[in-house]
Amino acid sequence: MIQFLFKGILRDKSRSLLPVIIISIGVFLTIFMSGWMKGIFTDMIDLNAKFTTGHVKVMTQAYAENEKQLPNDLALMDANKWLSILQKENPEMEWVQRIHFGGLLDVPDSNGETRAQGPAIGKAIDLLSPNSHEANRMNITKSLVKGSLPSKNGQALISNEFAERFGVNVGDDITLFGSTMHGSMTFQTFKVSGTLNFGMSALDRGAIIIDISDAQQALDMLDVTSEILGYFNGDYNDNQAELIKTNFNNKYTKADDEYSPQMYKLTDQGGLKEMLMQAENMTSIMVFIFIVAMSIVLWNTGLLGGLRRYSEYGVRLALGEEKSHIYKTIIYEAIIIGSIGSIVGTIFGLSACFYLQENGIDFSDLMKNVDMMMPPVYRAIVTPDLFYIGFIPGLFAMTLGNALAGYSIYKRKTATLFKELEV
Amino acid sequence: MNIIQLNNLVKKYPVGNGEFTALNDINLNFKEGEFTGLVGPSGSGKTTLLNIIGSLDSPSYGSAIVMNKSIAELSHKEAAMLRNQHIGFIFQTYNLLPVYTVFENVEFPLLLQNKNATQRKNAVMEALEWVGLTDKIKSKPSMLSGGECQRVAIARAMVKKPQIVLADEPTANLDSKNSHHILQTMQKLNKELGVTFLFSTHDEKVMQYLNRLISLEDGKVISDTIKNA
Ligand SMILES: Nc1ncnc2c1ncn2[C@@H]1O[C@H](COP(=O)(O)OP(=O)(O)OP(=O)(O)O)[C@@H](O)[C@H]1O
Ligand SMILES: [Mg+2]
Repeated sequence: MIQFLFKGILRDKSRSLLPVIIISIGVFLTIFMSGWMKGIFTDMIDLNAKFTTGHVKVMTQAYAENEKQLPNDLALMDANKWLSILQKENPEMEWVQRIHFGGLLDVPDSNGETRAQGPAIGKAIDLLSPNSHEANRMNITKSLVKGSLPSKNGQALISNEFAERFGVNVGDDITLFGSTMHGSMTFQTFKVSGTLNFGMSALDRGAIIIDISDAQQALDMLDVTSEILGYFNGDYNDNQAELIKTNFNNKYTKADDEYSPQMYKLTDQGGLKEMLMQAENMTSIMVFIFIVAMSIVLWNTGLLGGLRRYSEYGVRLALGEEKSHIYKTIIYEAIIIGSIGSIVGTIFGLSACFYLQENGIDFSDLMKNVDMMMPPVYRAIVTPDLFYIGFIPGLFAMTLGNALAGYSIYKRKTATLFKELEV
Repeated sequence: MNIIQLNNLVKKYPVGNGEFTALNDINLNFKEGEFTGLVGPSGSGKTTLLNIIGSLDSPSYGSAIVMNKSIAELSHKEAAMLRNQHIGFIFQTYNLLPVYTVFENVEFPLLLQNKNATQRKNAVMEALEWVGLTDKIKSKPSMLSGGECQRVAIARAMVKKPQIVLADEPTANLDSKNSHHILQTMQKLNKELGVTFLFSTHDEKVMQYLNRLISLEDGKVISDTIKNA
């Protein structure tokens, strides 16, 4: 019987084509949008992890409370001690110090007088240790426009946009005006070793990147760090992060000492947990909306199909097929058509996601003035659930739509069949 | 042994506030193997009678006993089973399933009976041989002439070897040559397989084939003639 129905579906295009198209589109959109959204969220989280939050991060409690203001007066003392504790307790992770600071960049002329000046975001990372991954992690190697990475103390990278605006070239001197962790003014001159295009407008407008040891010296922060970030060897793993965090905090965080270190995991920071949950919710909401919308459309196509096949059902009733059996075949047909549509939609949706996973769409032009930490290139991501997620709205909507439409078979009277079939 | 017994059969339809009597006190018995025509003017109740015998509708009063089953007492499911197993239908307008081939159309009643593929194939080929259409098994109904379509419909009615075949004006849409061919085919099946045929007709050409002729008028039997062919 299934084979019989299958033949009917394949031969009668008007029975199958429209529903298949509707389902394919719905399934395509479901998969495409959820892959796309997951991609964006994953990229955003990844970017945040690399630049800001780490997979886990250690700060003093006081620093954490005012993190946005870069309160280096509250920074973590005995940085090297904490670094070796963290390395010893979690040797499979990479632990790095970073210092965030703000300041003014001053471009001197040949006489050492100020030629131009602009505010800058400062980041000090481990650039000089031979086995440091920081330059790659922050995408510095790839973002290099001119020159090269610092190879010794006293060198700095600045944003290319800033360099061009103020006519700074590789090899020029640049002076950083800032404040030490104790609040006094400080300045330090660096040689520009290269310029960077971050692809993030906040940083492109003005940023300076120096080695952590230079910052510790310039800002009077010897053996002090804003934060220590921990990175897993692979992707972020929330369970493991939670475990490491709890162990650390139980051992070292003192409630009565706001300068004692506290560990935060990625999802504790910057509303990332809410963002992740939102991503999941949006997928569910989307699937739900598609189910409702497609069910209504398919209910109607089912009703039309029922009208078109009125005499077919009539003959079948006359030939002694039971109503419940006809109803069952309507459902089977819906499942077959729903599966075909879901498969087609899944193939297209996955292809689109694969394509956008390999070739993202570059939105950096649109986001010149956005201050948020957003990836410039948007990519989709193909996760295992994309292979089946489309079948939920596809099959469900088709089956529901036809279950509703097909119900009219039970209202059909056999008494008038002869008359209906005579026309 | 009577295969169909109609006793004081009355069929009334509700019309507006009142009722319309379509069949009025019908008493008829049909023996196995009869080849019977129902004639009468339009509106005389021919289709109504076939409907009831075919378990598509039930009597208002009196009884209709078909294959020892009282039509009035059958559930929908039992009525479907009776049609599925024992009654073949032939319609004026053929009513073949357009997307399926000749073979598949004839096969359909056997699918409902859950017959296996070999049984189905043998039975379908046999039925198509009876009506002389074995060379058209792959054709779709749209490629066939009216006469050929009606022969497929006969094969579909006959393939399950029913005891009774009911046909409502089977030749009304056919020209004279095809009508004769159809009648000859049905007559042959009636003789060779002993199937009881009952059909309504307006068609004079049909009369010569019948061995029993029942005339209806205003829902009443006005004559019942048995001819000895
Ligand atoms: N469902 C119904 N409701 C009301 N009246 C009906 C219904 N079915 C049939 N009738 C009436 O019953 C009478 C008999 O109808 P029937 O169809 O049996 O006639 P018929 O002999 O088959 O006519 P024809 O030769 O035109 O097909 C007609 O007057 C018809 O109007
Ligand atoms: Mg009639």
